[in-house]
Amino acid sequence: MPLPAHSPPATLALDAGPVSAVDLALFAAASGDHNPLHLDAEVARSVGFDRPVVHGMLTMAHAGRLFTQHFGAGSVLRLQTRFTGSAGKGDTLHLQATLQEVCADHLRYSIQGSGRDGASLVTGEAHVRRPAQG
Amino acid sequence: MIDRRHIGYRTEPTVVTVDRWRVKLFCQAIGEADPIHWDTPTAQVAGHRDCPLPPTFLKAVEGEHASSAALLGSLGVPVRSVLHAEQAFDHLAPVCVGDAVTVHRQIVDIHDKKEGALTFIVVDTHYAVATLPVARSRQTILVRNPLEA
Repeated sequence: MPLPAHSPPATLALDAGPVSAVDLALFAAASGDHNPLHLDAEVARSVGFDRPVVHGMLTMAHAGRLFTQHFGAGSVLRLQTRFTGSAGKGDTLHLQATLQEVCADHLRYSIQGSGRDGASLVTGEAHVRRPAQG
Repeated sequence: MIDRRHIGYRTEPTVVTVDRWRVKLFCQAIGEADPIHWDTPTAQVAGHRDCPLPPTFLKAVEGEHASSAALLGSLGVPVRSVLHAEQAFDHLAPVCVGDAVTVHRQIVDIHDKKEGALTFIVVDTHYAVATLPVARSRQTILVRNPLEA
């Protein structure tokens, strides 16, 4: 079988941040997650964090963007993440995807996300609709 | 100990209409600059029937139906003791701005780890447009249980 004209990328990368207090407030409003852990430094400290914690769903939203920026809106069929750590206000989120499998109708990528000092934030996988062969 | 009898609990379906302004705000919050998500002509030129949603926006739709905080409240679990452990979305058909999405949630599992120090609550959410299933999601919530004296 001939190779497709446009082979899917073996890796994708996206950096987001540094995540500001405004970013966290905007995401709280947009997502409906108003947990003060993400907005209030005192609440964060009271449960053992030195800064407001970045919503896991904000990190996951950037993981989604990792794929839509390359494959386009509506291309993500499955997106799954396990939250392995937490980022804090001021951190930059580093997201990377690695192609694992080319299936009949989708591409399967693994996802790795890290924050300050390379600490793991998320792992997971995505299924992305294969672009039409031109 | 969170009572296992909550396994199977299911919310009554409600209809949430996807709001264009909310999607635009969400895009702003996540650094998504592509107007395809809020400008209908841009979306239609690209072949969509209307503006497609960012892949995780359904979490906001879910929250309009029944937030995890509200769900935990009904189980008697304090929100301050929980962490979001896992999240998955399966997109079965396109959902667009303006769609009326019927949503319900169901607690599908509650189990302990580390000799009861941690409890995991698994909640599935189902999304349909005009009776057609368009997506499902699964959230795993980690509860850190207080140490017993």
